[in-house]
Amino acid sequence: MPSNYPGFGYPEDRETLSAAKVKALESLLIEKGIITSNTVDTILGHFETKMGPFNGAKLVARAWVDPEFKELLLADCNAACQQMDFPEGMSGAEGEHMRIAENTPKVHNVIVCTLCSCYPWPTLGLPPYWFKDPTFRARVTREPRVVLSEFGVELDDSVEIRIWDTSAQIRWWVLPMRPAGTDGMSEAELANLLTPEAMMGVATVKV
Amino acid sequence: MKLQHILGGLEGLDPVNFETEVFVEPWEQRIFGIHTAMMALSNHLSESLPDYKIEEVPTQFDSFWTWGHLRMGAEGMHPFEYFQLRYYEKWLGGISGFFVDEGYITQSELDERTALFLEDAAAEPPAPSEAATAIDTQVVKYLTEGDSPKRPSPATPKFAVGDQVRIKNIPSGEHTRLPGHIRGKMAEVVKVYEGAFTYFFPTSDGIGTPMPVYSLAFKPADIWDESLIDPKSVYYNDIFEVYIEAP
Repeated sequence: MPSNYPGFGYPEDRETLSAAKVKALESLLIEKGIITSNTVDTILGHFETKMGPFNGAKLVARAWVDPEFKELLLADCNAACQQMDFPEGMSGAEGEHMRIAENTPKVHNVIVCTLCSCYPWPTLGLPPYWFKDPTFRARVTREPRVVLSEFGVELDDSVEIRIWDTSAQIRWWVLPMRPAGTDGMSEAELANLLTPEAMMGVATVKV
Repeated sequence: MKLQHILGGLEGLDPVNFETEVFVEPWEQRIFGIHTAMMALSNHLSESLPDYKIEEVPTQFDSFWTWGHLRMGAEGMHPFEYFQLRYYEKWLGGISGFFVDEGYITQSELDERTALFLEDAAAEPPAPSEAATAIDTQVVKYLTEGDSPKRPSPATPKFAVGDQVRIKNIPSGEHTRLPGHIRGKMAEVVKVYEGAFTYFFPTSDGIGTPMPVYSLAFKPADIWDESLIDPKSVYYNDIFEVYIEAP
């Protein structure tokens, strides 16, 4: 007996149709006085300059050079943000309650949101596609070492992997290990080494 | 419970697709922006901790819209359709459906306008209205000040660090924050978050009113059968108190 489910068919104009539909929706919302013609661009611009992985990178670099700051960052991420010269809003949308997990030679952390895509906007910006992908969300919970190896992170079997899932309103991210050979680097140079993936636990920091 | 509630631990999947872009098509940025604007203009912000004068913002939007409302749409989908569609395709379907259902726009308006842009991709949206600035000021204020769910704790937390607890198995209803793969499983409380957390609206499975949230640690052998288990791993999740019971 055949299933009633028609299968994963896609129209040939899949993307042009979505592009036209979202443009239609946005233009109607502007006409009806719900948003303005600047609203969407204002929001997108905010993620280019105010909220983004450039903030997380500075926090990590500071933690690498200042042990007291690292203690504060691990104990209270939002309080640590207050000590930085950041734009206003580090405890704003999707950053109201943030926590960071520290990688060490014995413990490696990785974040996931199995129900959706919860993510700390002020420190990391918006989540990359792989984080939203059902395959990653399904597999990393159960076979994290294999998944990390697919990302290029090879961990010894003796390293404990901690997977941080987000079903309530805490937003997690990862404090990666400082790589060897960076002794003389300034905080700004260290910050430049960081990627969103390193601060999510699926990459190590490379010099 | 639907398949989209029980993603954790699914077997037989492909290697991870390591796509690091946030948006894989330019149109996706627009629907992200529309959703974020809806959160920033939601009428429930009059009761938020930051001082939002939301009733004075000159928008015609007068609805309650949070992440929970967006997710209700995704959780309401046919499970196979959920996996067929890309992340922002689900958003586009859910959000445009919401504006039609709530009477802000009609389906025929949307279809006609879509057809217009399909015909002429260069056609421009209308010019901004007079009230433009005040709406966008509120949007930036929301991004900056957020909408903290933290409230004073109405009662002492039922559980303490070190307690063994069992996750309840409550019907999901139309929206849940309880993933399928931990239902009925044992865990250890490793942190009791300070204060209590609202979910802004009540769900049929019991969250909404401010309640404690716990960081729970699960041993892999307690949540998975043997295949694919990584014995040197610990799975953590932050869970609302109503989902937990004494073993």
